[in-house]
Amino acid sequence: MKTNSLIKSLRFESLSFSYPNEESLFQSVDFDFPTHTSVTIDASSGAGRSVLLQILAGLILPTAGRYLVNDKNVTDMSFEEFLPFRKKIGYSFDLGGLIHNKSLFENCMLPLVYHKTYSESESKENVMNLFTKFKIEKLAHKKPSEVMGGVRKLVNLLRAVVADPEMLLLDDPTVGLSQDTSLLFFDHLNYLKSKADLKHIFISSFDEKFLGLFDHQEILIDNGLIHFNIDATQRKSANL
Amino acid sequence: MTLSILSFIDFLGAFALAQLTFFIKTLRMIYFSLRSVFTSKTESKRSIVSVISSQIYFTGYQALPLISFLALCIGSLLFLQSSSQLNLLQDQMPIGQLMNILVIRELAPFLTALVVIARSGTAVAAEVGNMVANREIEALEVMGINPLSYIVFPRLVGGLISVICLSVYFSALAMVGGFFITTFFHSMPFDFYMNTVITTVSFEDLFSLIVKSLFSGFMIFALSCTYGLSIKKSLTEVPIATTQAVVKSIIYVVGFNLSVTVLYYFIKFQRMSL
Repeated sequence: MKTNSLIKSLRFESLSFSYPNEESLFQSVDFDFPTHTSVTIDASSGAGRSVLLQILAGLILPTAGRYLVNDKNVTDMSFEEFLPFRKKIGYSFDLGGLIHNKSLFENCMLPLVYHKTYSESESKENVMNLFTKFKIEKLAHKKPSEVMGGVRKLVNLLRAVVADPEMLLLDDPTVGLSQDTSLLFFDHLNYLKSKADLKHIFISSFDEKFLGLFDHQEILIDNGLIHFNIDATQRKSANL
Repeated sequence: MTLSILSFIDFLGAFALAQLTFFIKTLRMIYFSLRSVFTSKTESKRSIVSVISSQIYFTGYQALPLISFLALCIGSLLFLQSSSQLNLLQDQMPIGQLMNILVIRELAPFLTALVVIARSGTAVAAEVGNMVANREIEALEVMGINPLSYIVFPRLVGGLISVICLSVYFSALAMVGGFFITTFFHSMPFDFYMNTVITTVSFEDLFSLIVKSLFSGFMIFALSCTYGLSIKKSLTEVPIATTQAVVKSIIYVVGFNLSVTVLYYFIKFQRMSL
């Protein structure tokens, strides 16, 4: 059982972010993200949930301030310097993200083949086992445009977990998925956690049932700031 | 009056600045794509080679029928026109030289570049643009795959190799095919024709062909990738970016080809006057 962890801390220091000619989504945020746990992100639509996940994945850089992974500023890192962390991060997109000229199977194989994580036969076996577990093995060689949105979403999730990530960022993971598939995916996350590969999970979702499955901490994005939502239950009942 | 002159200067300045910014952006993209391929130890070179070979297949191999058709038509046309004009002048010796100058130096690199812009430049700009809009580029990044080494580099290299090979193929087919297609219209022996071609082909002809093809191949794919990657999020930007890539590629290719020819004759005339 592996116990060492590459990603030890995630911190924002005076971090701000805004798209060009738009209002700031984050304004001078100082926040220490909890690690080795599941974290759900609560915010109203358009408050920056997806942007927060994209910053955490290193996909977009803050417009000001610092995003520190293990006390190293991501903004100062080149693609190659951030690569060891990136290889340990799984990211599932809310929409799009699958490579359209590759089959669903090739999409999941791509990170494994590119980084030679396993041998080619091992990679093929792992991916096909995953497809069989989620009952989409018959669709494995179809292109993303040839399958339903739910299958695309599922393949997006499977691609995020196929390389045994340490940190998982899930943006609206259950949209378009059946209840059974969502539960099966939750079981798979537990399996990855039990192998001690998966350590930090960040979920942005409005699916209360799915979120309820996790033993999680909740963070709230409010007025461009991030803070722990300690009294989430009280606030929800007050809003009702 | 003063105001209109000032606003014209303002317009010129803004235009020059935009062109310079775009040029620097393209150079940066090329530099980082080369750097990522040659400095990264973790990347799978096999995956990159596989993308290069598919690019050569689409740009080079699949363009062969159109290039062949064009080369045969242009070769026949030039041979008929040149041989009939030179016959009138009672002189058949320079026909090989004339074909060399027209085909190898000018038409082969230019027409090949136009075909590649029409077929592959548009395809690459649209493909890369769609990948940005569909968040495929982000997906590559998140998988730890540098889009510059996986998307840009193979297209540049594959495109470059394809354009050079197609230009050489165009030249050879136009010279030989043109002769045979028009065989019913003239009585020139093939040996004689080939002798005039081979004895008069010069280093300058081949140098011109290679330099023009190198530049065209490089610019077409660099511009197509730059415009494709410049798309923000929306699919509606894709056709606009594709058109811009085509227009700019044609301008660069024509401008460069003209500059090389003008420079060649400028140097030649200067040497003659010395």
